[in-house]
Amino acid sequence: MSAPVQLSRRDKILIHCGPIREEHVDDRALRTALHHARKTDVFAIQQNFDKAAAALVQTIPIPKEIIEWVPTETFIAPTRRPWKRYAQNPAFLATGIAVLVIAIVGIFQLVDRLNRFPGEPIALRLLTTASSNKSVMLDPVKTDAGALGDFFFMKHRLAHYDVPPEFADLKTLGCRVFDDEEGQRVAQVWVVEKKMQFFMFPAERDPRTGAVKHFNGWRYVDQDRWTGAVKEENGVCFMAALRGSENDLAPYVSKKKE
Amino acid sequence: MAEEEKQDLLQLYRFCFLMLADAAKAQEIFHATLREAAQLAADGEPPRDKLWFFRNARWRCLEAGEQGLQAEDVDLGLGELADWAPAQIGKLESEQFAIWISAAPDPQRTALALFYLDELSFRDLLSVTELKPPELARLLGNGRREFQAWLDATFPMAKV
Repeated sequence: MSAPVQLSRRDKILIHCGPIREEHVDDRALRTALHHARKTDVFAIQQNFDKAAAALVQTIPIPKEIIEWVPTETFIAPTRRPWKRYAQNPAFLATGIAVLVIAIVGIFQLVDRLNRFPGEPIALRLLTTASSNKSVMLDPVKTDAGALGDFFFMKHRLAHYDVPPEFADLKTLGCRVFDDEEGQRVAQVWVVEKKMQFFMFPAERDPRTGAVKHFNGWRYVDQDRWTGAVKEENGVCFMAALRGSENDLAPYVSKKKE
Repeated sequence: MAEEEKQDLLQLYRFCFLMLADAAKAQEIFHATLREAAQLAADGEPPRDKLWFFRNARWRCLEAGEQGLQAEDVDLGLGELADWAPAQIGKLESEQFAIWISAAPDPQRTALALFYLDELSFRDLLSVTELKPPELARLLGNGRREFQAWLDATFPMAKV
């Protein structure tokens, strides 16, 4: 013998609304209540009662004039396209917005990841240095920036600390060599044009193999309204930094020089 | 016109009849509702769905019901739904059922008429009657038990 079915208070209320035909159940709470109630005698009696009454209603005779008078054309507006209805549904709307936000965040992260390059953390640190230094801290050297490569090699034994051809013609104000937080030798150069600063520092290396992590072309970093354009060559990174945006550096890095 | 839509309109007449228990008035309201729909369609703003017809007819029926003879308020109490109720209902004429429904106060009248018309889904029923689920449940539950009491009074068990 099966145990008597215990209906919740909510189910007991809702089963009174149980439609006569199953396809008219379009509410989850009602569907659940009916699922629970189907095992009860009370609901079976109610269903039989309702079916008999509904069958009686369908015997209401329809006058001949009504049957003949029903117009041939439709008066009901065409059903709106389902996607519009779905779009107006709060649940779909909320889900759509959430998916959109996730997609935007994902795209930002992907773009950010694509823009990352080996040595970026050092470049960002040096941007902070660039924003806080004064030119008086440097040894005055007035020459073309391209000539400083030999100077760094001869005086500080820094090989490949060369200024790329794109910036080689710019006139310098001064330069210095210092050790950064990690004890790496960094060369800093001030130039006259736009109070730009150049930094040359060792490229990032693989901690296991010691191999230089190369990257191609110019990469940009920005921090606190300072922007740097970074390039790696022969295991040394060069960064041109100025107070401004990527647009201020773009004209220099876009020009090709032999 | 789709066959389904035609059937909906025929059910609209039955709804009017249940609300009024008067074939002539039901026919009149049916025609008036369709005329208004035709006018709206001609103005380029046709009714959005079939619920519009039931809502429109409902208010016309209630208005017409107020103007006619009012049913006598007879309290037969509430009966427990019986196994033999289908047999009792089988002895009724549809007009008798319509008279019983049309005598109920609104919104119970609309709820019972639409529920036993078996034309609308649960949500559509709530929409047209403008009721919350617990209210609809109470009106239908009480309606059944009142109808059972009336059946018991009209067709006592011994006669079934």
